[in-house]
Amino acid sequence: MSDKPSREVRNLNALLDVAKALGAEMQLDNLLPVIISKTTEVIDAERSSLFIYDEDTNEMWSKVAEGMDSKEIRFPVGVGIAGDVAKTLKTANIPDAYKDDRFNPAFDKETNYRTKSILCMPMLNNEGALVGVVQVLNKKDGSTFDDKDESLLEALSVQAGVAIQRARLLEAFVEKQRIQESLKLAADIQMGMLPKDFPAFPDRDDFDLFASIIPAKEVGGDFYDFFLIDDDHLCFVIGDVSGKGVPAALFMAVTKTHVAASTIPGIEPSDILIRANDELCKENDQGMFCTIFYGILNTKTGEVSYSNGGHNPPYLVRADGSNEQLEGTDGIALGVMDGMDFGVNTLTLGKGEAIYLYTDGVNEAMDDGGNEYSYERLEEFLKMSKGQSITEIVNGSLDDVSGFVKNAEQSDDITVLAVRYNG
Amino acid sequence: MEIRDKKEGDIVILEPIGRIDTNTSSEFENKIVEVMDSGVTRFVVDLKEIDYISSAGLRVFLMAIKKLKSLGGSFIICSMSDHIKEVFDISGFTPIFTITADQASGLTAA
Repeated sequence: MSDKPSREVRNLNALLDVAKALGAEMQLDNLLPVIISKTTEVIDAERSSLFIYDEDTNEMWSKVAEGMDSKEIRFPVGVGIAGDVAKTLKTANIPDAYKDDRFNPAFDKETNYRTKSILCMPMLNNEGALVGVVQVLNKKDGSTFDDKDESLLEALSVQAGVAIQRARLLEAFVEKQRIQESLKLAADIQMGMLPKDFPAFPDRDDFDLFASIIPAKEVGGDFYDFFLIDDDHLCFVIGDVSGKGVPAALFMAVTKTHVAASTIPGIEPSDILIRANDELCKENDQGMFCTIFYGILNTKTGEVSYSNGGHNPPYLVRADGSNEQLEGTDGIALGVMDGMDFGVNTLTLGKGEAIYLYTDGVNEAMDDGGNEYSYERLEEFLKMSKGQSITEIVNGSLDDVSGFVKNAEQSDDITVLAVRYNG
Repeated sequence: MEIRDKKEGDIVILEPIGRIDTNTSSEFENKIVEVMDSGVTRFVVDLKEIDYISSAGLRVFLMAIKKLKSLGGSFIICSMSDHIKEVFDISGFTPIFTITADQASGLTAA
């Protein structure tokens, strides 16, 4: 029997093996060694290497080199034989590497190896774009690589290119899912930081408080907080961090924690904001900021002292529904500039009077036609809220906004907190 | 979003159009960064065709003025509508910026 048919049959069988092996392996890290070992075997070479094209950096990288430890090698497209093949997309069949200008003998020296012949070929995906480069070294029988080897390697690299492409798409898909899950987790953690058990103070009848938030699809930065500083002083806070995503959620968590931690009996609201602002400016490379309204209700007298750090002015809502925006104080959103001063203002709530706090997700909520919910609609709603409980006002207000925007997508968190003094 | 730009000496005038909100603020930011990267440190941003700025938009203005102040440059805002002015007023941003009535006075201030 002549040598020729046996080689062809052997090659066909080898290709079939490769196809099976590649079909079974979906993970890139596992796929690369399979491609390398199969290539070495099928081409009857001493060694093979596989370099993957990194679009972002225009580099080639490799993690595996058979017969050596696995480490990552990187080089720019255009450098060396493999880099040149990646650049020109043309096969290089080199009978004597040391006679080729592109060959870098450093690797041989390092690994105590003697490269003789090289066959190096681009791997393309279905669309004909570069996926990587496959390179085989030294024909085992000491000869050079011939046309048959070239065709065989070509058949192999087509299969390998498609398999790698498929594995990368899968990896990208899994990565995207992982990111979405972690964002969801961040949103859950963030929402978990907000007090949500109502009635929050079941044994107090001298005031009522309720709050609610409708988070936007993306992680946003709205928050609220409330707690008793001592028996007679209720602290209530609302805030809105600029931007979205995990950075906004983290900034919000830091802000809320600073504000709560520095609240001690007898402190002025302005001092809280001055301190929180200086702290937040220290750790703020991203130019983030947080508007905040901080109030303290004296539950004995109804007096409210407050400081406003660049937040939309809350409303005083009287028992008959009439309402007006609270007067401002000196102040700016937290995190903008350190050493800023914040002012303080006071008002006294009569029996049945309430303060309604909200974030700009309320007044800037937009319907399909690009119309804003606006302060006017909010004021109209508050006017009609006469006789309602605090819980009804908060929930009704959110419903009113939802009814206005209808099917338009909610782009910002919508948050409302209201506190009523009962005397 | 569309952002027109023109040059007056070494001052770059930007005229953004529409809304600067969560969806468009990164485009606006990229534009400013791109112009800054070309070596420009003096800006006039004309807001006459802007009808909405959200807090995400304000962040871009803040980023720009912080960066330009540290470079000894200038960042002037002009032609604000009352509605936009209110957004700057409420957040407490107004005193941080040099705000002029129109582009001509903006160029003088830059």
